[in-house]
Amino acid sequence: MDRIRREFTTLTLVLIPVAIAINVAVGQLVQSVKIPLYLDSIGTVLVGVLVGPWAGALTGFLANFVWTITGLFPQAVAWAGVAAIIGALAGAFRTGDWMRVWWKSIIAGLITGIIAAVLSAPIAAYVFGGVTGTGTDALVAAFRSAGLDMLGANMAQGAVSDPIDKAVTFFIIWAILQALPEHFKARFSQE
Amino acid sequence: MSTPTLYIPRSSGLHALHPLTKIAMTGVFFVAAATLSNVWWLLALYAVGLLPLAFWGQVFRPFIKSNALLIWPFALSLFLIQGFFARGTHVLLQLGPLSLKEEGLWLAAHFTARLLVWLGAAALMMIVTRPDKLMLSLIERGMPRQIAYIILTSLQIIPRFQDKAQGILDAQRSRGLETEGSLIHRMRMLVPLVAPLILGSVLELDERAMALEARAFSRQGPRTSLTELADSKSQSVLRWGFLLVMLALIAARIVGLTP
Repeated sequence: MDRIRREFTTLTLVLIPVAIAINVAVGQLVQSVKIPLYLDSIGTVLVGVLVGPWAGALTGFLANFVWTITGLFPQAVAWAGVAAIIGALAGAFRTGDWMRVWWKSIIAGLITGIIAAVLSAPIAAYVFGGVTGTGTDALVAAFRSAGLDMLGANMAQGAVSDPIDKAVTFFIIWAILQALPEHFKARFSQE
Repeated sequence: MSTPTLYIPRSSGLHALHPLTKIAMTGVFFVAAATLSNVWWLLALYAVGLLPLAFWGQVFRPFIKSNALLIWPFALSLFLIQGFFARGTHVLLQLGPLSLKEEGLWLAAHFTARLLVWLGAAALMMIVTRPDKLMLSLIERGMPRQIAYIILTSLQIIPRFQDKAQGILDAQRSRGLETEGSLIHRMRMLVPLVAPLILGSVLELDERAMALEARAFSRQGPRTSLTELADSKSQSVLRWGFLLVMLALIAARIVGLTP
């Protein structure tokens, strides 16, 4: 309880909406230059890494509500729980000191991506009939034609898309951490 | 300030309802669509439930338009993927190794109809409810104020961040950053595009925090609000009614009465 309260300072509370706006802006930027990644959880990972798991989880959770309210990606709210877990994992990896070395940050991203894929697939399969209404449905179709069932095809699609996406996300956040001044990072740290 | 939301201001009776009443109403549509599995019942729910409400809210055309935009990617994926890959024996069309099956099309129709009700109900709720009033109604029922701050601020600053991202893209291009080319090449430009956006916005956080503190953001205790929400006894009764309907629908599903 005390740890949760320590994470949510005024500085954290102003960081979270900025992080959510970064999710939206970077997600759209990546689409506009036709890079086949989402990068729409980069702000969430930033909060997790700078502040801690609780703040990261809250950012992910609310970010998906914001995606829904804007009407840009209304189905997002169904994955709010997964987004929260991504934020929490980012916080956990930083606490476990995985974000200091570049290759460790990539492994942290890969692990986060695998967990996200496993958790997202049942939602796509059982709530949305095995699709997400986005471009990755082409991958789902490919896996179905290879003989996988609904859940299996969604799992496989996630296993292809998510780990790479999260590895790149975590790596960029690692690079940004290197560029941020020490005194700035220290203001968020809980120790 | 312009916010990227679905909200359309009108002076309709639907707009004037208390946000919690509209949440409860949306909840009924969500539960109904989740518990019904008959395609025709789901479509009827849309036609005799959501469409008249949209008409009452004077947002009929934008409602239809937003629904069409929301549903077609799902419909396309569902009919193609389930039509060809769902298990079934009634083959309608044979295309090389692929076969279009009747069972798959029914499955796709079923999911599309359900998503139409879900997305339609959520969209209608957002079209006829001002986000700040929605948040206020939740704060009055005990949601932390900070949550409302996060959601409303996000909605307000998103357009500015979209502009910033576009500005950075233009600036880097004018310095000679190639944004076309092979995939590896485009991946390498991610850092020069994303890092300035994140670093720039993170370093101005202090100003935001100070501006909030100067307005007693972290003060404890009760607050007054600029906006007032109109509520009535009849709406309160209506909300309880909606809750009962939701419970009845779930109960009917459990005992197997729903079509």
